[in-house]
Amino acid sequence: MPELGRAALVVTLGLVAYAFVAGAVAAHLGRRRLAQSAQNALIAAFFTTLIASLVLVAALLRHDFSFTYVARTTSEALPTGYTISAFWGGQEGSLLLWLLILTGFGAAAVRLNRRWARDLIVWVVPVFAAVATFFAFLVVAIASPFVTQVAPPDGAGMTPSLQNPYMLAHPPLLYLGYVGLTVPFAFALGALLSGRLDERWLIATRRWTLFAWTALGIGQLLGAHWAYVEVGWGGYYAWDPVENAALMPWLAATAFLHSVMIQEKRGMLRIWNVLLVILAFSLSLFGTFLTRSGVVNSIHSFTQSAIGPWFLAFIGLTVAVSLTLVFWRLPLLRSPTKLESPISREAAFLYNNLLLLALCLAILWGVVYPMLSEAIRGEAVVLGRSYYDFFLRAFGLPLLLLMGIGPLIAWRRASLRSLATAFRWPTLVALSTGVVLLVLGAGSSTPGLVAYTFSTFVGATIVMEFARGTRARKALGAASWLGAFASLMARNRRRYGGYVVHASIVLLAIGIAGSSAFDTVAEAKLTQGESLAVGGYTLVYKSLAERQSANATEIRATLGVQRGDKELGTLEAGKNAYTIEQQVSNEVGIRSDKLTGEDLFVIAEQIDPDGSVYFRVFVKPLVNLIWLAGLVFLLGSLITLWPDRREQRRLVARSSEAGLAAAR
Amino acid sequence: MVALSVAAVLAVFLLYTSIAGGGNPSISPSELQGRSGEVQLAGLVVGPVLGDAHAGGLRFKLKDIGGKAPSRVVVRYSGSVPDLFKVGRHVVIDGQLRNGVFVAEPGSMITKCPSKYAPKQSGDSA
Repeated sequence: MPELGRAALVVTLGLVAYAFVAGAVAAHLGRRRLAQSAQNALIAAFFTTLIASLVLVAALLRHDFSFTYVARTTSEALPTGYTISAFWGGQEGSLLLWLLILTGFGAAAVRLNRRWARDLIVWVVPVFAAVATFFAFLVVAIASPFVTQVAPPDGAGMTPSLQNPYMLAHPPLLYLGYVGLTVPFAFALGALLSGRLDERWLIATRRWTLFAWTALGIGQLLGAHWAYVEVGWGGYYAWDPVENAALMPWLAATAFLHSVMIQEKRGMLRIWNVLLVILAFSLSLFGTFLTRSGVVNSIHSFTQSAIGPWFLAFIGLTVAVSLTLVFWRLPLLRSPTKLESPISREAAFLYNNLLLLALCLAILWGVVYPMLSEAIRGEAVVLGRSYYDFFLRAFGLPLLLLMGIGPLIAWRRASLRSLATAFRWPTLVALSTGVVLLVLGAGSSTPGLVAYTFSTFVGATIVMEFARGTRARKALGAASWLGAFASLMARNRRRYGGYVVHASIVLLAIGIAGSSAFDTVAEAKLTQGESLAVGGYTLVYKSLAERQSANATEIRATLGVQRGDKELGTLEAGKNAYTIEQQVSNEVGIRSDKLTGEDLFVIAEQIDPDGSVYFRVFVKPLVNLIWLAGLVFLLGSLITLWPDRREQRRLVARSSEAGLAAAR
Repeated sequence: MVALSVAAVLAVFLLYTSIAGGGNPSISPSELQGRSGEVQLAGLVVGPVLGDAHAGGLRFKLKDIGGKAPSRVVVRYSGSVPDLFKVGRHVVIDGQLRNGVFVAEPGSMITKCPSKYAPKQSGDSA
């Protein structure tokens, strides 16, 4: 069996290398049949990678410990679900998954677009193939998942905190996001190479980018929720380099999704868009490098592995080649239109882009700073939480405000008078909310208060937009208000789906502000019967119990919860001691208030032999809005992603003309 | 106008570095001797681990990860102790050297997973 896996990967490497060379030659010389053959090789590579993946899955399911990979990541007793998740649990398997998704996406994107963008596709194929060649080379020569050994009686097993349903979905979603960003990258480079720099590469990849961006966003939120519920330190995001690794490409992709609209509508920002795509893709490669190379002190990057230098070299090569191509095509990338006014929709989008990029680069700077300072001053200097928090406020809060302004401002040139009319109500609502909150005591945190006020502003603009659109459709003859609303959504999915996504970001901002700027914490060592007061709650430590589960000893402290005079039931917090793995894990107790979105979060930090427990208790207002934001985000993305024949036809028709004009 | 916006962004950046300064150097126990400022110390836990993290503080020693340097430093730590903390694990702690003892910032300890588990490549928190 391992031979079949190895052979399939060698064949894959051969196929993608062929697709790269033949594709480039065919595109350069204009050989149609050779180009077709390169395309077929890329598609075939997906199937050979699939065979290799199935071999690995089969080995995992059979607990075949003669595969070194299987022995290292699983054990006989591991439940089937987690045994399958071990596919992406280790380095070799995750590289294989990357290659599988890459060849799958490549084959699909090429097939779907080959008719109407043939002159572009011939150059897209070799770009895809080049990226795939790198990953195929890694799994064949550097980190093969099919290395064999004399089978040990049992495998090493999986670390307990990863034996968790979140881990079934969170890593693959991040992969879909990371790898999905290859599609717009390949098309952008294809456009540069072919010189067909009209808007077609954007139209061909818009849904791919959206999909990758959605997967990356949901994947990160799942990771944050996992950290909050399972890891038990009282937070959900710690600005760890590996967390940032996923956030940076997401920010770059967010900027890209916005600036694309400017290019589609007004033909502006062509260079900028190409650069953003290159950045997003390079950052997703960099993210993999960070996680796997162990160059930074992160809680996640542990494996000092052989693939680090290869990744660094490939990132360097990617950036160098891409920038050279951009430079070479500069004359073709000049925009026919110019920005007319600093107060216009275009300008608002531009500010949004600059802020997103500034935030992304500030995070990048924080991540690489230890490495840079080590290289220059001989001493790694780490930038802490305050660094990231500062920039999240400095760039994130204006970004939040712009989210309300941008969609309401006119294209080309907006008059101040029209602005005053458009923003009168939202401003009034936001300011009065701000004043009320201030009276209620929210002034304890200025950034928090500002975040709430801005969020209200954006929320009001979104509600206003929906109301206005629905009224217009009703006036056009919709039977009911609900019908008017439905037809509004159906007719302009991109716009109104976008508003729904904006609404989710508002929820996210409120949740983050509430839980980080207005949280309360208390800690104390309690013996049974003693109590602790925090944020309006009173907790009474009632009893301590020990029970035995299949693989762990579970100790739980039971606490009675009161708010004022009202009994709110009990809460359990404690620790699990895993026998085989010799590990202890915190099992936190969380009580969510469904009405206010507030969490009471209890950690039993230390349990003494005499039965006294050191508790750490957080009250986190509005934190559940963050998870709600995830659902709304998904809904908005789905609305936008939903196929829209009419719109696609219109865009294709418009840009085909442009393409023909460019070809002449 | 783009230039103006870029300049504004850079100004914010400079503002930060002038107010908050740099971060903490990240060093290993053998490099700690004779340093007085706040640093981030990364090392391997050497037993015995004594004391109570929430009453008087935990005491243990740290040595270089993977290095052959014999130097060890005594650490006094209080606050949250991560699940994975124990002898032989890699930890990262903020703090500073006082009279030969590394006094840690309360609650600053993070542990790295043992390398025999290949963890998931992902952006989770721990």
